[in-house]
Amino acid sequence: MSIALDQVTKRYQEQPVVNDVSIEVGEGEFFVLLGPSGSGKSTLLRAIAGLTGIDHGRISLHGRDVTHVRARDRGVGLVFQNYALFRHMTVADNIEFALRVRRMKRADRVARRKELLKLVALEGLDERLPGQLSGGQQQRVAVARALAHKPQVLLLDEPFGALDAKIREELRRTIRAVQRELGITTVLVTHDQEEAFALADTIGVMNHGRLLEVGHPHDLYAQPATRFVATFLGAANLLLARQGAEGIRFGATPVNAEASARLHAGREHEVVAVLRPEEVELAATREQLSSNYIARGAVEDIAFTGALERLRIRLLDEPCAAQLLGSGSAAEARLEVTRTQPERRELPLRLGAQIALGARRLHILPTPISSFLACAPTEAEAEELAREPLLESLSSRMKTRVTLRAIDGLDEAPAPFAGVAAVAAGDKAASTVEWLLKHGAAEVLVLPRQAPSPSRVYIHWTDEAVRRATLAVSASLLRHVAAEAVYLGIVTEGAQATGRAAPMRKLLDARSEAQSVHGLEMRTELAIGETVTEITRNLSAGTAQMLVLGISDIEQAGTAYRSLLAAQPGWPVLIVYRPGESRISPEIAA
Amino acid sequence: MKSSSQKPARQREPNVLPGFGITLGFTTFFLCAIVLLPLSALLLKAGGMDLSRFIAVITSPRALASYRLSFGASLLAATVNMVFGFAIAWSLVRYDFPGRKFVDAIIDMPFALPTAVSGIALTTVFAGNGWIGQYLEPHGIQVAYTWIGITVALTLIGMPFVVRTVQPAIAEVQRDLEDAAETLGAGRFYVFRRIIVPTVLPALLTGFTLAFARAVGEYGSVIFIAGNKQMKTEITPLLIFMHLEEFDYAGAAALGVVMLAISFVMLLAINLLQVWGRKRLMVSR
Repeated sequence: MSIALDQVTKRYQEQPVVNDVSIEVGEGEFFVLLGPSGSGKSTLLRAIAGLTGIDHGRISLHGRDVTHVRARDRGVGLVFQNYALFRHMTVADNIEFALRVRRMKRADRVARRKELLKLVALEGLDERLPGQLSGGQQQRVAVARALAHKPQVLLLDEPFGALDAKIREELRRTIRAVQRELGITTVLVTHDQEEAFALADTIGVMNHGRLLEVGHPHDLYAQPATRFVATFLGAANLLLARQGAEGIRFGATPVNAEASARLHAGREHEVVAVLRPEEVELAATREQLSSNYIARGAVEDIAFTGALERLRIRLLDEPCAAQLLGSGSAAEARLEVTRTQPERRELPLRLGAQIALGARRLHILPTPISSFLACAPTEAEAEELAREPLLESLSSRMKTRVTLRAIDGLDEAPAPFAGVAAVAAGDKAASTVEWLLKHGAAEVLVLPRQAPSPSRVYIHWTDEAVRRATLAVSASLLRHVAAEAVYLGIVTEGAQATGRAAPMRKLLDARSEAQSVHGLEMRTELAIGETVTEITRNLSAGTAQMLVLGISDIEQAGTAYRSLLAAQPGWPVLIVYRPGESRISPEIAA
Repeated sequence: MKSSSQKPARQREPNVLPGFGITLGFTTFFLCAIVLLPLSALLLKAGGMDLSRFIAVITSPRALASYRLSFGASLLAATVNMVFGFAIAWSLVRYDFPGRKFVDAIIDMPFALPTAVSGIALTTVFAGNGWIGQYLEPHGIQVAYTWIGITVALTLIGMPFVVRTVQPAIAEVQRDLEDAAETLGAGRFYVFRRIIVPTVLPALLTGFTLAFARAVGEYGSVIFIAGNKQMKTEITPLLIFMHLEEFDYAGAAALGVVMLAISFVMLLAINLLQVWGRKRLMVSR
């Protein structure tokens, strides 16, 4: 491995800006770190360069551990957004800077400089001052300067940020060509997905200090695993669909889509589907569609952008419109559609035209948290619950919605529940949770009043059968909050006699599964004692703590863990329920 | 032809900055009334005496000794200020320490203090029985009433000029430059010598010029600590004052002209140096 980051964490004033990031970049690979501003990508790059120390983790370059090596001894080349050229030195002196530091002979210096200037196509500009060059030329000088000492790794921090579109394109090609020619391992940081697609062998997407997904550009675009990557890499319409034994339905219509991993053990459940604008098919009537019909719509806006035509389409079928995420209410539900020019010629559309919509390809996100359902005895109380800061921030960060649901009296045959149910913490919480789980809810979030966004999330499950689901839900949650994940393993006093080897192994298994399957970096802690006491002790030890609790037995929520759901002192608790193995129906087990 | 008879009104280029006429008027007026007129008067006065007397006055051993002292001490003081002023400005810009705001405010004190007050204060501290003087005297270092004392006074007076001009320049040195140099393999001292100093140099020279100009013209603080011994601790402004006391206006003016000429040449030289340096640095951003 050329660059290996192992659980790198960097905090500013206790807030993690880079949170447990592990990356491996192969020899000669062009790796692009993509993320919005403030996602921690630049900090991570500076950490690789050695300009920023890290609080936790290890960094190695070509097998050499450089975690505590100074920047000047790391042998990396760094290019900055604002070029950072030495303005009082000529181009020649700038490029030769690293060589002079190394006391290289004059003749060798000149030869190397000529070679580099040729590489970045700036021959003959040796004696110019940076101020006499255009922005694109200055950045080329910066690239040449960064390569002068033959670094093993080239790091580029938003190198095209200050340039206009045309120059950007040109420089992008130069950098790609130089990188290929030298075969140098390169990491580039950007917020521009187009740039990432154009350059990367591999893209790593960061948000809130976490590395969400790593993969080949095409795979990340076609099969994102998270909402964030789905919407950040290109445009995406997010839909809530239902997945059951007979397949996937959007509204009332069945659609073809690859089924996601069966996290929900066969029960019908809500999933988030990604519909790319170019995968929407438009036709005058439903019969003319070659793909699966999803809804009717009216053209609301048309924009011409050259190669593509962009349309905004209002969904006319109420139930479908209600399932479209990313807009406030069903009445505002709009689908983004793009068409190529041949498609446009085949079916010219005007504003207001009514059309049938089909989905050529739907991708189901493997995320277990689709939407939230605020449950309270009355509509008003449900509305109040939906305004809880934690629930509001979670739903907005997950780009999903909170639906209100009045559950007056815990009657026996309620309508099915979809998404994560949220209930207020308190005396009645335990029995409500029990009732919800009994009637089909799979996850319940118990919220005390005004709970802050957590800085640490404890994860615990009572039964190995729910480990996978609990980890999946935890990973999904932690992608959207800047918190540290801690798996709490608890050994009861009685079991201790049998030795510690088994629980320790469990701990390590959990950790490696979290990392490999769910991309979740988590710490592990082992406690000895009674389960609820130990959980309470850990939750009380700090502020802004949260618990994700996996259970396989509905009664447990109402009895053993009752005290955790109380209003005082009150922690947010996300209960993940999956029926124990014995209860999985035979056809699913098969 | 109708169109030819109607001469189009000449369109004036609209200017975003209004009042060019009035500001230039004021500039010229003030320059004349406050700077140029008194200087011309000085030249006229000196021109009133015959050449041999003029040369006798300005080349008297006493005058020559005073030039050496005045310009020597001023240059030394400005140099000291350039070094320590840079250090002060550096620590004020780059580090955050308790009391930083307070130190920052103290820098301006020499601006506000009447110069005579600072002269008296320095004399109190550095006299043979003063707070510091009493420890220096036994080691044979006499500060008050020697050229050292004069340099100390001039340093105090000029210090804020350097600090205040260098501060913004240091703030403008991008951290990226230092980071870039470091990734290229340069050590701290190399970065300081090759990157930071050259970037701050123009501002540093401006500060030096201001401190030097101020020191040359300083009178109030120096006469208290100088002791004014003939040939030894007489600065040129004092010599001029003595000519005035003897009602020898022409002699005073002659010395004044010499000071003016030397100052002008030195300031011009430094300014040219600066223009050259700036051209190298600032060719269009």
